[in-house]
Amino acid sequence: MEEYPEELRTPPVALVSLVGCPDLHATVTTHLHSQQPPLNALALPDFSKISIISRPPKDASLPPQPVAGILKKDWLLKHRTRVPAVVAALFSSDHVSGDPAQWLQVCTDLENLKGVLRGRNVKLVVVVVAPSNSKDYLSEDRMIALRKRAELDSKYVIIFVPSETELQQLGNTFSELANSFYKDEGRRIKARLEKKNFHSAELNIRCCFKAAVYAEFCRDWTEALRLYEDAYHAVREMVAASTRLPPMQRLIEIKCVAEQLHFKISTLLLHGGKLAGAIVWFRQHYASYRQLVGAPEVIFLHWEWLSRQFLLFAELLETSSVTSQHVSPSVPDATDRATEWEFHSAYYFQLAAHYLKEKNSSLELAQSLSETSGEVDGNAESVTAAAYIGQFAKLLEFGDTFVMQSLSDEEYARYALAEGKRFRDSHEIIALLKRCFEAYNKDKASRMAAFCGFQMAREYFTVDEYSHAKEVFENVASLYRQEGWVTLLWNVLGYLRDCSRKSALVKDFIEYSLEMAALPVSTNVAGQRDCGPAGPASIAQREIIHNEVFSVIRGASESEPTEENSSLNVTADNPLYLEIDLVSPLRAVLLASVAFHEQVVKHGAETVISLSLLSQLPLNVEIDQLEIQFNQSECNFVIVNAQRSHLAAISCLQPGRRVETATTLELRTNKWLRLTYNVKPEQSGKLECIYVTARWGQHFTICCRAESPASMSDLPLWKFEDIVQTIPMKDPGLAFSGQKAVQVEEPDPQVDLKLDSFGPALVGESFIVPVIITSKGHSVHSGELKINLVDTRGGGLLSPREAESFSSDNLHVELVGVSGQESEDLSNSENIRKIQPSFGLISVPFLNEGESWSCKLEIRWNRPKPIMLYVSLGYFPQSTELSSQRAHVHKSLQIEGKTAVVMSHRFMLPFRREPLLLSKTKSVSDSDQIPSLPLNETSMLVVSAKNCTEVPLRLLSMSVEAVDASTCDVKSKSKDPEEPVLLVAGEEFKQVFAVTPEVNLPNLNMGIVCLRWRRDHGDGERLATCSTASAVVTKHSLPDVNVEQPPLIVSLDCPPHAILGNPFTYSIKITNRTQFLQEVKYSLADSQSFVLSGPHNDSTFILPKSEHILGYKLVPLASGFQQLPKITLTSVRYSAGFQPSVAASTMFVFPSEPHFGLKDSGEMRVEPVAAE
Amino acid sequence: MIVCVAVVGHQNNPLYIQSFTEADDALKLHHIVHCSLDVVDERVNNPKKSSPTLNETFLGLLYPTENYKVYGYLTNTKVKLILVTTDLDVRDADVRNFFRKFHAAYVDAVSNPFHVPGKKITSRTFAERVSTIVKSFGLSSAS
Repeated sequence: MEEYPEELRTPPVALVSLVGCPDLHATVTTHLHSQQPPLNALALPDFSKISIISRPPKDASLPPQPVAGILKKDWLLKHRTRVPAVVAALFSSDHVSGDPAQWLQVCTDLENLKGVLRGRNVKLVVVVVAPSNSKDYLSEDRMIALRKRAELDSKYVIIFVPSETELQQLGNTFSELANSFYKDEGRRIKARLEKKNFHSAELNIRCCFKAAVYAEFCRDWTEALRLYEDAYHAVREMVAASTRLPPMQRLIEIKCVAEQLHFKISTLLLHGGKLAGAIVWFRQHYASYRQLVGAPEVIFLHWEWLSRQFLLFAELLETSSVTSQHVSPSVPDATDRATEWEFHSAYYFQLAAHYLKEKNSSLELAQSLSETSGEVDGNAESVTAAAYIGQFAKLLEFGDTFVMQSLSDEEYARYALAEGKRFRDSHEIIALLKRCFEAYNKDKASRMAAFCGFQMAREYFTVDEYSHAKEVFENVASLYRQEGWVTLLWNVLGYLRDCSRKSALVKDFIEYSLEMAALPVSTNVAGQRDCGPAGPASIAQREIIHNEVFSVIRGASESEPTEENSSLNVTADNPLYLEIDLVSPLRAVLLASVAFHEQVVKHGAETVISLSLLSQLPLNVEIDQLEIQFNQSECNFVIVNAQRSHLAAISCLQPGRRVETATTLELRTNKWLRLTYNVKPEQSGKLECIYVTARWGQHFTICCRAESPASMSDLPLWKFEDIVQTIPMKDPGLAFSGQKAVQVEEPDPQVDLKLDSFGPALVGESFIVPVIITSKGHSVHSGELKINLVDTRGGGLLSPREAESFSSDNLHVELVGVSGQESEDLSNSENIRKIQPSFGLISVPFLNEGESWSCKLEIRWNRPKPIMLYVSLGYFPQSTELSSQRAHVHKSLQIEGKTAVVMSHRFMLPFRREPLLLSKTKSVSDSDQIPSLPLNETSMLVVSAKNCTEVPLRLLSMSVEAVDASTCDVKSKSKDPEEPVLLVAGEEFKQVFAVTPEVNLPNLNMGIVCLRWRRDHGDGERLATCSTASAVVTKHSLPDVNVEQPPLIVSLDCPPHAILGNPFTYSIKITNRTQFLQEVKYSLADSQSFVLSGPHNDSTFILPKSEHILGYKLVPLASGFQQLPKITLTSVRYSAGFQPSVAASTMFVFPSEPHFGLKDSGEMRVEPVAAE
Repeated sequence: MIVCVAVVGHQNNPLYIQSFTEADDALKLHHIVHCSLDVVDERVNNPKKSSPTLNETFLGLLYPTENYKVYGYLTNTKVKLILVTTDLDVRDADVRNFFRKFHAAYVDAVSNPFHVPGKKITSRTFAERVSTIVKSFGLSSAS
């Protein structure tokens, strides 16, 4: 678009000429430029210069000449720079109102100006420039005279005082006048058009064009568009009709004019926002001219022209503000609807490039023809563009004058050819293609972009810019590879191969060649045009490439180097190493599938590995040597081709490497080469095959990543081919699930690890778990014993919360220590010894075969909880070498933690002695009420301990540790057993204490019951190593008691037993402990078993600090346990009633006098209480 | 005249591509067919909201190149059928009709139990049938 002159590219701008007063011109010009729409100014400093704007003299005497062309080239320029619409004559007010000489000068200047403008429609404005504040100074007469001289309306004789508002006014006047000038001109031309009095089509077109330009001046875009379209159609009609010029040049001119008109139309349409319209218009333009090829000698001019049309339209589209997103192709007519890409400038750039390429090739053809015909162009330089658009003429020099002479077609053709030679189109094509390449990429049209890229790279290729070409080709090839467009890929690879050949890149050359040879090109598409350096895609071509590349690989020794391959060789100086990974396009060249026959293999045992190689190269390939590499490099081995073992390839082996020999290592097309070998893993863990490296000759290596058959993906391009697919292994199970890695087990430990335990662990005791390590074949070097305590319910280490894991109070179970026979040795600083509450690490001393070592783990339970104890021993079977493998033995043991004894207690008052405790009378039955004890009275405390485990226990002692001995007196009623008491499972042990509170306190702390016990080891009691030391103290804290002063105490007094028929005394003693007189009411109910004497009902007063005794005489009537007559006492003061309990008011009646052995009586005393 | 027809798989890989020109410009036609996939993608990914042909298999004119017009058709298994023609004045109905027959031929070809889905179509019967369909293109409208 830039090659167009500005006056064509931009909408026309009105021109105003300023004459006189040159000092004002700059101000006025700047203002006019800034006006909307802007005005151009042609500033003439004084009136002598006005001849510039005068019309060139037309020689009227000459007869009207035939029309020489359609559009004058400089017509638009003339209107931009030379033909003003308005002429403003600027006079200074001094001159106007000055002396007669000055006035005369003004008049003369004005006359001259009028003379120049005569015959033209140019508007005249007279501006009298007055200095500021002297506007009124001008005489009215002179102004009128001036107006008359200028023959102007008073409106157009302006007194101008330089200021912003005046400038504004001046500008408005100018633009108004300019508008009317162009309107008049347009009207004039249109009148001519309507009369249709043309003798030639050229004039018609010219008039239409001029009228359209005038309409543009007036900003009447629709009118302009209509007129341009008329002109355009008229041009199209001229094609067949015109005979003015020789045919070749005629067509050139017509196309040139059509191009300009089309440009104007497209610009107007696009600026009007009619994108779809512009596209339809362009399509018509293209359709109507594409067939007008013209003379075959200069056909390249047609292509150039077409290319320019597309380029122009593309640039217009690009610069137009309307984006394709906002416009939907809503034209309902399906066939005329523009498709998506027609809204993108890239589409037009692409076609512009296409036609430019077409031009290039036809130009080359034309040039070669002209060269063969031996024409030497001597006078091409003298040809130049003529006065009319699209015309050329010979410039002849006659002395000082130049004469334009029209050309013959032959001359023109020669000129065009010579011109064509001057330009290098390739770079232009590349630039165009790059633009659409980028535009398509931006629109995510990767395939279009790839096509543009391909063309671009091809262009680079033709101008020998191989590095650029290669870069773009590679980009394109990756897309074709990915989508499997084999023919296209073949073509691109052919170029790439040639690029690398020409840039002497051996590695790339071989890679591309191998890839091409292994492409699934099977159809023999005979003789494709444009197939590039690769030749047509066919099997034969693949074979040629295959042979060529292998001759390079084998080096010059095996085949004669061809001329073009001389720079490509693989030698010792220039070895070649290719790597094929899982995504490499060279997978089709060599695919290695490796499978172990087993999934797990024992340490030191051999396993079988199957190796399968596949190649899609068209011809059979013989591999010299294969190397199989594992992650354990000791397992690597080499397979040598027996038929080629004479080659020196083997020399590059590392010494000590295992070498196998295969009878043949020939890869056939699409046939698996299957090899099976034994492998003996050296180390435990994972043994994985990583690479299979194939060698040809000494210097060429392909390193192929091994793949598991189970997870092997198809070959990317071959998977679409309809070929026989075979499985890599013979064994289908292996082919579908084989893995390239095998798990090697650790060496079997030959050491016994034994954990012992005696039943459940008991809370509080230090539970001992002996660990015994016995060597049974291995000696133990730098053994380590790891101990872990784990909650069986999961949740890791045995601490209630991670944060408090080291405060021992919160630990439920903790590892207290490890004691061993060699505990002294273990404390050495060099040995590892680390004990934490739930983890321990200790080192095990060196053990020879057959020796054993033991230690004891001491674990303490703070809460009943089952745990899992994990002990693992790690050691080296051989003396500490780096290579030898650590063996591990693991043992675990679940240990229950249990509470050993459960203790309980109860308080009892003395038998048949009942103090009145006021707190008892008030409260409702509350279970959690603290027990009350009478002050200074002896109560009984019974503490029982029950063995809850299955383990027999020995009780050593039970005692109550009072907090403060002065507050309460606790005495054991029974003696401590001298021999520890055996308590079997479920048995209960009781001990009685006499408790006498001595301080009246509402909350008396009774202290803690301490039970010392230990595990009973049965017969091994004497043998037990830890029996004496490990007495466990179980504590049971007694609750607080309420100590009260009882106001009344009732005691029943009767003999322990009675004999049928023998009377006895039954007395009830009521003691008043208070300072007050107490009234007590009592009643005695009759009993069937007794006859009684004494008062039944009465009330009595008891004096302070004294006692009252009710005495009865009873005679038992029945034997056995009998209920004594029930007494009911009521204290009036405390309104508290008393009834003795059933146990307290029962007695045994013997039928006759019994005879007891006196020695039993001591035990009898204790019994009734303990049996409760 | 139809110069090229193609069946393109759902990974945009060519399953069948056949040109019917005297001139050896198969490569160029391959390029054209490949480029047209961009338009198919665009049509499928950004369907026109107003378009009544939301579930239409026939995609219409994909794009015009210098000498060719490219038409597309998308089966419901996302296999694309592409037609390249040199005729400048093509009736939509003819193209639809062509694609219907072409689709039927494709369905028959892949229904062959020996055909592995996703592989190129190498059936000779299919090729013959397609060539017959191509030859009969536009004849119905002419008569």
